[in-house]
Amino acid sequence: MKSTRRGKAKLIAVDGVDAAAVVAAAKAALASPSRGGISKWDASGVFQDLAVADRDAGSPSARTLLLLYAADLAFRLRWQIRPALAEGHTVVAAPYVATAVAFGRAAGLPLKWLANLFAFAPHPNALVFVHASRDGRAAAGRDGFVGFVCNHVVGSEESGLRRRLIEGTAAHLKKADRRSK
Amino acid sequence: MPGSAAALRRQARTHFTRPSKRRGFLVAFEGPDGSGKTTQRKLFKTWLKSEGYDVVTTKWNSSELIKPIIRSRKSVRALSPEEFSLLHGADFRHRVEQVILPALWDGKLVIADRFLFTGLARDVARGLDLDWVLKLYEPLLWPDLVFYFSVSPVTSGKRVTATRTPNFYEAGQDVTDVDDPVESYQRFIARVIREYESLALIFNFITVDAEQSIGDQHRQIRRLFLEGQQRAWSEWNADAVAEWLATNGAR
Repeated sequence: MKSTRRGKAKLIAVDGVDAAAVVAAAKAALASPSRGGISKWDASGVFQDLAVADRDAGSPSARTLLLLYAADLAFRLRWQIRPALAEGHTVVAAPYVATAVAFGRAAGLPLKWLANLFAFAPHPNALVFVHASRDGRAAAGRDGFVGFVCNHVVGSEESGLRRRLIEGTAAHLKKADRRSK
Repeated sequence: MPGSAAALRRQARTHFTRPSKRRGFLVAFEGPDGSGKTTQRKLFKTWLKSEGYDVVTTKWNSSELIKPIIRSRKSVRALSPEEFSLLHGADFRHRVEQVILPALWDGKLVIADRFLFTGLARDVARGLDLDWVLKLYEPLLWPDLVFYFSVSPVTSGKRVTATRTPNFYEAGQDVTDVDDPVESYQRFIARVIREYESLALIFNFITVDAEQSIGDQHRQIRRLFLEGQQRAWSEWNADAVAEWLATNGAR
């Protein structure tokens, strides 16, 4: 994220359940890759650490996972997003806040709690919602944030509850997209 | 979800207010480092066990899932105040769900060596907004009793530095910008104690003068516990229990 001249700083949020589609949209949103960058989830490595944690410790709830996501986002803001914006670059945050809020809503958490949790995150200059196809939603869980957290809440990749959580997240993202227009 | 939120709250209320059975009871020990609360917690636990209570202890930042994540980041001094706060909030939430509520549901007496008030006092001392931090801990689980061990910043500093040098975050060096850990600790703990004193008023803690002798404090705690254990279950805890029931299935 280096540049020799300062442009107009811009934060673009790309949100969706299908990790591959979100990354593709993030690349497309970044018009000139040499003058900006993409901030992806788990830059802090919190979830990587969680993935290898002791399974006997008990599955984390949706609330616990969202507290961890917020900690990771605070890290991304500190080390990736804010420094790049200060340099006048475009930063694409993929995912940003909307995906996490949609997952929280799908898990039954109150919107007020979610809004407070992410109150430290600045509003993006632009929002891009990536709506996944049925196949995209089914594949969401391999590498992406939504799949990861759904697997942890449910404790398995193969369950009806996991599918309902992913479908619910996708539905809440659609609502958020409609509200943003 | 196995039932509506209202039904789960009713289930929680019914369970914790059954007159025929000793209900789960939560006692929190709070106070700055060097206030002697861990000594008192151990004495209290020994006494409770001798009285026939089934006791479970939980300590701050001890979730087997989250503690390693926090420890590795503390060791490289990589945490901002927000990250520090959110990770400790995650650790607390995981313990509430995995340790504290299951034990309370089973009628046990839970002693928390530090509770969410530790997070509030430290995070606000680091410059974060009290309201934002408090809401991170929702749905709130209120202890039946909170013993606050009150000491002056000078006493805390003397007791802590008598045996060791405070570590980077304990000394608040992430926010004081003071290189000397002992000097930084002295400044930071004064801020933490100020926040604790405010919380003690707001949340009606039982203040124990931790400058008294160990024996005097222990006798006072026993007496206050025996008076306090007659307290009714707090309706404020219905949301926390209901959410736990919803995510852990019908019991």
